[in-house]
Amino acid sequence: MSDQGLRISGLQCSVDGNEILKGIDLTVEPGKVHALMGPNGSGKSTLAFSLTGHPKYDVTAGTATLDDEDLLALPADKRARAGLFLSFQYPAAIPGVKVPNFLFAARQAVRPGELTPAKFRALLLEKMDVLGMDPSFLGRYLNDGFSGGEKKRLEMLQMAVLAPKYAILDETDSGLDVDALKDVGESVKALRASEEGKNTGFLIITHYPRILQHIEPDVVHVMIDGRIVKTGDAQLAHRIEREGYDVIREETRALV
Amino acid sequence: MSSQLLESDRASALERFRTTGTGREKPSRYWKFDLETLDVPMPSGTPGGSVEIDAPAGRIVACDLQTAQRDHAALLERAFGKAIVPSMKFAHLARAFTHLGAFVYIPRDCASDDPVVIRYRSAGSSSIFPHTVVFAERGARATVVEHLDVDGDSFVCGIAEIVTDESADVTYAAPQLASESTRILFTRAALPGRDARVTWATADLGASLSVADIAVIAEQPGIEAHVASLFFPGGSQHVDIVSTVDHRVGETTSETVVKAAATGAGQGRYLGNIRIAARAQQTQASLRDDALLLSKRAHIDSIPALEIAANDVKAFHGATVGALDDDAIFYMTSRGVDRAAAERMIALGFFEPVIERFPSESLRETLREALQRKVEPA
Repeated sequence: MSDQGLRISGLQCSVDGNEILKGIDLTVEPGKVHALMGPNGSGKSTLAFSLTGHPKYDVTAGTATLDDEDLLALPADKRARAGLFLSFQYPAAIPGVKVPNFLFAARQAVRPGELTPAKFRALLLEKMDVLGMDPSFLGRYLNDGFSGGEKKRLEMLQMAVLAPKYAILDETDSGLDVDALKDVGESVKALRASEEGKNTGFLIITHYPRILQHIEPDVVHVMIDGRIVKTGDAQLAHRIEREGYDVIREETRALV
Repeated sequence: MSSQLLESDRASALERFRTTGTGREKPSRYWKFDLETLDVPMPSGTPGGSVEIDAPAGRIVACDLQTAQRDHAALLERAFGKAIVPSMKFAHLARAFTHLGAFVYIPRDCASDDPVVIRYRSAGSSSIFPHTVVFAERGARATVVEHLDVDGDSFVCGIAEIVTDESADVTYAAPQLASESTRILFTRAALPGRDARVTWATADLGASLSVADIAVIAEQPGIEAHVASLFFPGGSQHVDIVSTVDHRVGETTSETVVKAAATGAGQGRYLGNIRIAARAQQTQASLRDDALLLSKRAHIDSIPALEIAANDVKAFHGATVGALDDDAIFYMTSRGVDRAAAERMIALGFFEPVIERFPSESLRETLREALQRKVEPA
């Protein structure tokens, strides 16, 4: 029990031989919302991909555990089954694979045998209704021909259906208009309010603080050049909004 | 004379078969099968085989070719052989020995949602030379499904042709799931009338060697042609498909979609011809062919060939050859689906744009199940 949480310690990661993450320490506790902010290229998405097990991301040092389970020893699908979820910044389009078929396969993999296809369909329609998604999504292929906003809504739908223990939202807010941004906020709130998702911990990766107007973070981290250089409460996000990353970069130059 | 239709011209057809080229380039060094040296088991005496025809109740006439020759000679003569052009080498071979076949006649303004189902069978390991003739009159609409129940070391060389009058709409589906010891060569040719629509939906999944020529000759304005084709050689299967849409006049539209995968040591070859004649202005033609390689030894040659002599046309072509997309696999596995299942889903999904052109859900399911068996790990 004492080791509950998504615990990242000393994590270093390289892509194509270039070191991107230079030692990350971060713990997302169950039920808490952490925001990870930072300028473009600081390594935020690399952290997301290295935690979820993308084969191109080579973890060279450190540990990552999910409620005691060693994430780094598992392939991507088993990390998901352990309870980890990543909302992709750029979800892949998969022509010919229908949304409900894929989601049923994913739900069965993550929570085996809980739902019959009929009950699953009812759950799906209910979650889609919460997200204001048209039922016509059910007849479409996964992300195929989707607009940017539709892709993000589908990511949020998958999060709702899989109800993970820990959800990483990688720039889910990027490219969204005000209404879509609000819907992302609502979907996080809806998951937290549900029985399945009341203990879900969130790591919300974002460049801009505006998503945090819709989801109040418990903890805010700032990442610059592959390191977390500052950690604080929601006030830190407001400060970044006012002052930008350069001020933080100056303050923490000694660290970096 | 019409009573002689089937018997006429056999000797000269055989001669045309011998003197006509395959319409294919020399094989690449990967390609292990040379059609030029195909060993044709020439039948001595009357070839075997049988045909079973199921037609929906109503005005559609569907019968075997001999009956058609006896009872509907004038109608048969309006369509028989009309869509075949001299370059169709294997159609000449079929023509030389045609002894069994089906005639489907859809009278004027007759529309049917239920398909005519034609089933050719070989008796044991014989050679069969089937010939299907579909003739649709003005405003008629119908669907034909052709099955080949052949096994042993059967050799099949057949023709399916569609000839229509104005504003007819014919869909012809040929899900080929024959035993992998057979060899199958088929020529599928359509000659639609003005403002008519024809759709070829073909799947080549069985046979050790499957060769198909699929053609639409658009020589009337307003024609809409669809060619949807999938094939999937595995093991040591060879599939060799040529599709041709010949826009001879303007204001004609065509869409060709081909999805091919290969696994094991399977080899596939696809040549997609789109021809737009100089006077065929205002033609719209698209050709999309994608190939998926699922093993290191598998090979697919994919050659789109657009010959455009007119200047006011819209022509699109796109082609890809590749392995499964790593990003797609990671995306699916990151949601908990194991890698093998993700690969299967992606590979099956790849064929959907062609599967959805097949006319019934049961047929589509049959194809999905057959494809599923091919992508299951051996």
